[in-house]
Amino acid sequence: MGLSYKMRLLILALGIGIATTGGLFIKSLLKPESFGVYGPYRAAAIDEEAQIPIRHATNVSCYSCHPYEAKIHKAGLHKTISCEFCHGPWADHVAGSKKVGTLPVKKDGEITTLCLRCHNTEITARPHEVIKTVAMPGHLESQKVKLTHNCNQCHHVHAPLKYINRAKQITESAEKAL
Amino acid sequence: MKTDQEKRAFLKKVLDGTIAGSLYLVMPMAGLAMGNNTKDHASRKAPLEKLPEQVPGIRGKTYDILDQEFAFVVDITRCIGCGSCCVADKREYNVPDDNYRTWVERYVKGFSDQVYVDAPNGGLDGYQTPRLDIDELIRDTFFVPKLCNMCKEAPCVQVCPVGATFTTPDGFVLVDHERCVGCAYCIQACPYSVRYIHPTTKTVDKCTWCYHRVRKGLLPACVDVCPTGARKFGSLRDESSEVYQILKGPGVLTVLKKEMGTWPALYYKGARREVV
Amino acid sequence: MNTLLTAANSGESIGSATMLVSNYVFPNDIHVHWSMMIVLYPYITGLVDGAFIIAALYYLFDVKSLKPVARFSLLFALAFLCCATLPLLLHLGRPERNFNMLLTPSPSSAMAGFGYIYAVSMGVLTFIVLFVYRPVLVELRSTAKGWLQVLYRVITFDSIDLSQGARQLDAKIIRFLVGIGIPIAAILHGYVGFIFGGVKANPTWSTPLMPVIFLFSACVSGISAIILAYIVIRKFRGKSISHSAIATMTKTLTLFFILAFCFEMLEVFSHTYLKSGYHHMVEGLLNGPLASSFWLWQVKICSMIPLILLGVMGLFKLREGIYNLLAAVVSAILLLQVLIMRWNVVIGGQLMSKSARGYTAFHPEWFDKEGIIAVIIVMAIPFAILWGLGKIFPFWAQESE
Repeated sequence: MGLSYKMRLLILALGIGIATTGGLFIKSLLKPESFGVYGPYRAAAIDEEAQIPIRHATNVSCYSCHPYEAKIHKAGLHKTISCEFCHGPWADHVAGSKKVGTLPVKKDGEITTLCLRCHNTEITARPHEVIKTVAMPGHLESQKVKLTHNCNQCHHVHAPLKYINRAKQITESAEKAL
Repeated sequence: MKTDQEKRAFLKKVLDGTIAGSLYLVMPMAGLAMGNNTKDHASRKAPLEKLPEQVPGIRGKTYDILDQEFAFVVDITRCIGCGSCCVADKREYNVPDDNYRTWVERYVKGFSDQVYVDAPNGGLDGYQTPRLDIDELIRDTFFVPKLCNMCKEAPCVQVCPVGATFTTPDGFVLVDHERCVGCAYCIQACPYSVRYIHPTTKTVDKCTWCYHRVRKGLLPACVDVCPTGARKFGSLRDESSEVYQILKGPGVLTVLKKEMGTWPALYYKGARREVV
Repeated sequence: MNTLLTAANSGESIGSATMLVSNYVFPNDIHVHWSMMIVLYPYITGLVDGAFIIAALYYLFDVKSLKPVARFSLLFALAFLCCATLPLLLHLGRPERNFNMLLTPSPSSAMAGFGYIYAVSMGVLTFIVLFVYRPVLVELRSTAKGWLQVLYRVITFDSIDLSQGARQLDAKIIRFLVGIGIPIAAILHGYVGFIFGGVKANPTWSTPLMPVIFLFSACVSGISAIILAYIVIRKFRGKSISHSAIATMTKTLTLFFILAFCFEMLEVFSHTYLKSGYHHMVEGLLNGPLASSFWLWQVKICSMIPLILLGVMGLFKLREGIYNLLAAVVSAILLLQVLIMRWNVVIGGQLMSKSARGYTAFHPEWFDKEGIIAVIIVMAIPFAILWGLGKIFPFWAQESE
């Protein structure tokens, strides 16, 4: 109680100073370890990001267990299409060396919808030199097939011209033979 | 196997028709063979060592983060708007609905110079229908894939108050999900709107150019699945890489919103001036 | 496509900008990320700033007529400053990580300074209050009992020294603290403006005028709040109202409001005149989605009416009662004006998609953590704190009763 008012204020100021220094000290303690290695961020976050497991494993992974489809797919015009785009990501199918799920196979109407994502002439924004497009149902009509036909009833989904070319070969050789 | 005679007899019937008709001849065989998949589970290994080295020079050695440079080139003249990239991206990261790490826009330019753009569901479902609400002649139309621009002067990095968004020494703008407070300042700052708040983690999220794949020597998922080569990614330290050749060559490349001074590492080939 | 178009269906009737705006909103731009809590945050710090200006005019610039409200202004500012972080915490996706702002502030970010600026201003304002109230507190300490006495001992620094020397020292400290308080208050709020002004991706935000506009409108809202609160509380308690204090505050308010309004209009005028880059988006915004909240409410109703009333109050000699009534009315309208202005800047600015081709829409929710109920609660808390502070620090000096 014997302290003068001035003295008390000095102690107060000192207290604020100590509290601030203490705060800054605690701040330096709580700073994440790798913070500031390359810049004002946690450098460990880079490795954490790099270690995220992949979910798409490229066509090569699919080919290693599905050689039959691989042979057709690699030979056809659809060879640049990713297996995983139509069937789903590898990670939903295989984990380590175990099969963990069955990937869907598109059926019937879904197939036509899928094909028209790329091949629909109506979508004029597509560069024609990159993709061959067809008009529906004009294409079915000109090919004289039923309008209810799905694309895969003539086109092999993995190699669209596989049957077409084969049929052409046969019809040509047949014509010659005739 | 059908005999040649049978074939001929069959062909006589169908020759009046079209090629399509004759397909019945070859279809069933394929159908049978479909069942003969190799089911040898033991042969399935963890894929990493089996995967192709799509980005050379990374696998099998210490990654020198200070000596790397990458670029991404989007070739608008090759994009068919299939949305494979969007699908792959969503699956690679389980991106929540209504948020987009990458998307594909459809541009339609009329003769009045009016520009109509849309991106239904970010192009995730592809483009199945033409725009029916435009009643003028169309001068030009094309697709524009969008993703993180990986700016060298990234506004999002500048504004992040806690250092949760940063540019790595190898040029990627990444998010530290452990530090992010979810203030969304970076979302405001990004001129390209590639960021969103993840509804589960409540932290910000964005395209990383699949940093986790690149560090494994793989292409970003969207690049890997692109069927037409509209998306190209590669190392600028690899003189044989396609992006190096493109950037080295005389072709005109542009970046988005150049006036923002963000210096993107994402380049566009064939982007019309209307592209924003 | 339909959701995109309906989310942004406002670009049709916007005059010349129609040519360019075709209602395409970037898919990630549909959502407005900074919503009502970020409207409240600059509103609250603005109230703090304005109230502090009134106190500073008395304690630093010796504007004697403001004596009756000076102490109250300090407490009002303190009550609101206590709650300035509330809307921010409600806004953050991960509020539990808020200390990251203090632990790892990024040197390049304008926002990173917040924690430190806020801490300093809180400290300075608290000590200003303690020193200003010290004579009263020493007196109250002698009559207080129980825990209240302990509290008074702590906040008087356990000293009952009210000698001439001690009082002179207090006066010096107060002047010093208020002196550094002014730049701190200006930084606290000006930097909020800069948070917006520094976003180059947003054409309505990115202007160096933004901090200036925010500062002046902060003064407007804070002074209005003090005028209104003073009149209402005194009326409610049946106490006298100091006309000279009201007159001084009204004149100060007039000055700041003219400045604020001029700069607000200057920004719009500059956009219109320069017609630079994204002008079509700004024009389309103000004449489209913001047509009523900007032109009708912010400009016509909440700015023109106060300007006319302030003009009348300044130019004509009015009876005290009428003058005070008008002052209360003007203050109420201006409080609304600043709130609407914050809304138009914060939420309005985000309605423009960065595609520069369309606008999104904002629909406030009731029960969201950033919803309308939460807004009402956040705005009510400072008044509760103010009431609590009033129990410890008497609002009004004895002599002005």
